Amino acid sequence: MTKIGVDVGGTFTDLILESDKVACTAGGVVVHKVPSTPEDQSVGVIRGIREICDIAGVAPSDVEKVVHGTTVATNAVIEYDGAEVGMLTTRGFRDILLLARGKRPHNFSMQFDVPWQSKPLVKRRNRIPITERIMPPDGSVEVAMDENQVRAAAELFKERGVDAVIICFIFSFLNNVHEQRAKEIVEEILPDTYVSCSSEVADVIREYERFSTAAMNAFIGPRTSYYLGNLKNSLRAEGVTAEIRVMQSNGGVTTIEGGSERPVTILMSGPAGGVIGGKWAGDLSAVENLITVDIGGTSADISVVPGGSVRIMNPRDTNVGGYPILTPMIDLTTIGAGGGSVAYVDEGGAFHVGPRSAGANPGPACYGKGGLEPTVTDAQVVLGRLDAEKFLGGGVAIDPKLSIKAIEDNLCEKLRLSVEEAALGIIRVVNSNMALEIRANSVAKGIDPRDYSLVAFGGAGPLHGVELAKTVVARDVIVPPAPGINAATGLLATDTQYEFTRSVLIGISEAEQTALDDLNQELDELVGQASEALAADGVTSQERNFTRIAECRYAGQGFELRAEIADGIVDNNNKRVLIENFHEAHRCDYGHAFEHQNVEIITLRVIAAAATDRLSWPELKIGKGNNPKGAVMYTRPTTFDEGETVDTPRYDRGKLLSGQTVTGPAIIIQNDSTTLIPPDHIAEVTAFGNLRVSDKA
Amino acid sequence: MSRKEVDPITLQVIGGALHTIAKEMGHVLYRMSYSSIIRESEDLGAGLFDADCNTLCESDSTPMHIGSIPAYLRGINETLHDPWQPGDVVIHNHPYYGASHSPDIAAVAPVFYDGELVGFSANTAHHVDIGAATPGLIIDVPDVFAEGMLFKGVKLYEGGERNRALWQFIETNTRVPDQVLGDIEAQVASVELGAKRFIELLDLYGKDTVFTATQQLMAYSEAMLRKRIAEIPDGEYRAEGYLDDDGRNREQTLPVKVCVRIEGDSAEVDLTGSSPQVPTAFNVPFEGSTKVACYFAFRAILLDSATISEHVPQNEGSFRPIKVIAPLGSIFNPQYPAAAEARFNQIQRVVDCIAKALGPAIPDKVTAGCSADVSAIAYSGVRPEGNYWVFIEVNEGSYGGRPESDGPDGIEELMRNTRNNPIEDLGMHLPLICDRYELRDDVMPGAGEHRGGIGMIKVQRYLTDGFLTHESDRHEDAPWGFLGGGAGAGARVQKYNVATPDKIEELPAKVHNLRNLKGDCIAVLNACGGGYGDPLKRSPEQVREDVLDDYCTVEYAREAYGVVLNDEFKVDAAATEALRDEMRG
Repeated sequence: MTKIGVDVGGTFTDLILESDKVACTAGGVVVHKVPSTPEDQSVGVIRGIREICDIAGVAPSDVEKVVHGTTVATNAVIEYDGAEVGMLTTRGFRDILLLARGKRPHNFSMQFDVPWQSKPLVKRRNRIPITERIMPPDGSVEVAMDENQVRAAAELFKERGVDAVIICFIFSFLNNVHEQRAKEIVEEILPDTYVSCSSEVADVIREYERFSTAAMNAFIGPRTSYYLGNLKNSLRAEGVTAEIRVMQSNGGVTTIEGGSERPVTILMSGPAGGVIGGKWAGDLSAVENLITVDIGGTSADISVVPGGSVRIMNPRDTNVGGYPILTPMIDLTTIGAGGGSVAYVDEGGAFHVGPRSAGANPGPACYGKGGLEPTVTDAQVVLGRLDAEKFLGGGVAIDPKLSIKAIEDNLCEKLRLSVEEAALGIIRVVNSNMALEIRANSVAKGIDPRDYSLVAFGGAGPLHGVELAKTVVARDVIVPPAPGINAATGLLATDTQYEFTRSVLIGISEAEQTALDDLNQELDELVGQASEALAADGVTSQERNFTRIAECRYAGQGFELRAEIADGIVDNNNKRVLIENFHEAHRCDYGHAFEHQNVEIITLRVIAAAATDRLSWPELKIGKGNNPKGAVMYTRPTTFDEGETVDTPRYDRGKLLSGQTVTGPAIIIQNDSTTLIPPDHIAEVTAFGNLRVSDKA
Repeated sequence: MSRKEVDPITLQVIGGALHTIAKEMGHVLYRMSYSSIIRESEDLGAGLFDADCNTLCESDSTPMHIGSIPAYLRGINETLHDPWQPGDVVIHNHPYYGASHSPDIAAVAPVFYDGELVGFSANTAHHVDIGAATPGLIIDVPDVFAEGMLFKGVKLYEGGERNRALWQFIETNTRVPDQVLGDIEAQVASVELGAKRFIELLDLYGKDTVFTATQQLMAYSEAMLRKRIAEIPDGEYRAEGYLDDDGRNREQTLPVKVCVRIEGDSAEVDLTGSSPQVPTAFNVPFEGSTKVACYFAFRAILLDSATISEHVPQNEGSFRPIKVIAPLGSIFNPQYPAAAEARFNQIQRVVDCIAKALGPAIPDKVTAGCSADVSAIAYSGVRPEGNYWVFIEVNEGSYGGRPESDGPDGIEELMRNTRNNPIEDLGMHLPLICDRYELRDDVMPGAGEHRGGIGMIKVQRYLTDGFLTHESDRHEDAPWGFLGGGAGAGARVQKYNVATPDKIEELPAKVHNLRNLKGDCIAVLNACGGGYGDPLKRSPEQVREDVLDDYCTVEYAREAYGVVLNDEFKVDAAATEALRDEMRG
């Protein structure tokens, strides 16, 4: 089987190819990088696939599967470049998307922007009120829908030439009869327009979040489906007949059709690939508790993976560009800390590193492309950790003198520090910012980092990994075999996955048999839907796995947490297990459970997955010994975080063999990444190419 | 201070750690709590303080709470019977001993290090019902005792021991014990967490380093604000407005007078000349609310977080350059035992008047008049089983037009920044149903080169008989226009029964325990902001866009903006030019 993972980033498009047709010397895996093509991502993707096939010596027609991580949906949001959407909504509620939750994005500001007002997903003129009324708590119809108003609105949309229509009625999660009927009418009048109901896109309680999800789906829909369709056609034209899959925000993959129909599910496609790649690296070393840290040019993505399963973000927090999106996303936090983060002293004398970034252009001062302010990368260069001739495999020319000058000009005098002290300060502050974020995602959520390995990847991750692990007191550090293209690796290490939800609102603590019967029926229906989705993907019934989740809260609370439902029919026994699972989830997140309070289920969720063959990294040849001389390229002075400068050997990662160890101070260099091993630390090369770095004690 | 200065790098690291602790405290509090006003609205504040009650860090939650806790701490220190000891948690809400107002109960844990009291971990949260004269909110009451339970430095935990009698007392004296007790539990969990994190920080960096750093961080925040104040020319800047009434004496409007004195890098806000205190609950606690409003105004206007890229730590330093004067016996500094629970509309107007006063000196930093009010509304009733339901809702206001942009519509403004409650969630739990929630269409916002924001309308229908108390204002004195912009529109409240929707009764802004019947609907229409700059400078194309989006009528486009649209909603350029010339005179 030949598979390709292709992940599009801001600067580079990363590729990985795995094949049993590749010569044994290459071990069956080839990695490659090409420049991204932001105006049309598919150009870079096609070029990369063509080139990696050449390198591997396989024909494009031999490729059986392509898994894609894309930012095309996210970019549509960031650039506010989406479809003209028409919306039908309940009369009296025209401005739910504008009022949002009423809370402004800044506390202490008069001139703040409100993205959902200044950049609405649906213009107010296209939000047409329709007379209809569904009533809680039973979903009864208080006022029948006025079908003539629906027709008139559809005619208006036709005249205006809208690209998509959404139907968003209040309380439709209780009863979708009006939404469905309105959809039929609109489709009669606009047969070629994409029409969707809020209860189809996100069948959950809370009007603003449900409407916003439906609106976002429609807003990014045409552009995303055009891109995916075009990519598919271009691949076919190249002779690639492979099945094509797209990474979703939840870490599972979907089809081209699935991604086109529900583009909201692929908004976090890229970062999700990174976390899955980190988990895959953990698997290589049989480590289940992981903190993944992906450090790129402008930002760092941090995620905690306990017990081998990724965490899904609380729906209260899932938003993109300020718009709430109710689809499952891997729980990860992004902070403005990366190689390009700018260090500066403000007018009050305070020292900052980031979130402002020099980006790829002009980039760090050492690039010589006009950047005059010092960045984190410049600090690494000054400290002798990034060698000019080896930078990005020698592909980018850098000038250390420019780094020194940038620090001298901007920081030394204001901070009254030497160049080296200032460079160390930059590293210390950026590490501190990342460590605080790691702690907020671990310690603050009841997770003890001492039981966790920190997986460091992204171009800059392995330079910071050991220091971060020290600061947050993680057990050790794992540096994956190809840290610079780790997100692409993740694409070949994930499962097919679909999720289906339904709003229920059941007081489970007091639920009688009839309520449990209803619950079982709802679950069966969801499993049925999920099963169909997998069947459509050609997954046999034996390969299908289902996880059933009840999203619960204590009666009266406002936020749900996920509790797993044990296998089998939900009876009194099963119910008790579920309630205990919820208490445990509450304890884990808040350090406290209210065991005497009633628990209610708000949403049922069924996750259907089919395991795919995971990427198997070629096993390294067995070697032995500490600090193998054959792998040393040269030695240079390097300054470490405690301020000590020592002659430090550079190892070629490609020459390190399984079982060998490297004792710090050392630097391990590979094509797209550099791993820093401080004194008193030791790196062990594992059978499948991970580096595991721990302190000697 | 003789201690050696902490280097800027360590300072940044400690500053980041403090910020994270406050965030974590706030997070635990709102995620664990029960009542919608805390968990959904996030009507809370949390942070760490040194032994002198200086704020070291505060959660970025609701501005009203930020900056109010030091006064609570001083009030507690003044009233505590037995000295602090490890394991204590004190609650406090007395408006004459530093509380912001009585429903905002503070929970405070002392932080001991090596046997020495080095600081406090504290939070405040708005409780749904503390057993006041009427459910949830009060307006027309005689004195502070009608506000409900008053706590003055009372130990809820003493040396780690739970004060069971006190818990029982609270349970007995609120209409919604489950919510209030659950929320207090969440407050305790949050302050205990803060205390733990504080000690970890001291362990990591050492006591001297941490407290030297916090002094420097306060000096930094202070310096940042002083720089901006110094840019304003010295002098006296005045503005005034008036409030509708006190909730009892309907004919009597209440003046708000603000004089801002700038001298060098310091500012003084003098509220002398504002209304004397009133006989209802419509007074403002001085320490916990009046002062906090003035601190907020300067920070929001001069250290605007949307226009400056640095994070200026939220600490005591940003309060120091501001002095606040309000004569004892005035509405902004009432004399015991006047009730002082309903204070939010007044302090919003103080902030609005500070912006208005400073506007001519710093036109690029202010806005035209905002709604600058609050519509806090308590719906309540008794369930068939005999227990109370109480729901407090806060309805959004709007901003005035701004130097570079229109005023945001239907949004939490100035001192408040809470989240609204999902209509669908409430509908599932309360005998109340929302019939309308959108922007007002009965009035136009202030016209201007940048228009004022449009207020919202919300209609709630009672599904059973119940009660209503509404704390609001700004029906009379509409938000002001600035630099040629037009005035906004005042707020209004209407009542009708769903069976007779045309029989509308106009209600005053303040309503005290009004009895409602099944099917009665309450419509709140909040104020629209004033315009900023000459409406004739707004581009005709933009006015056309406003018309297409129903932010503006065709008539108003002509009348206020001099823009003429033809039958196809296209701009008639020649007619527009001619009309604008005529309007310019």
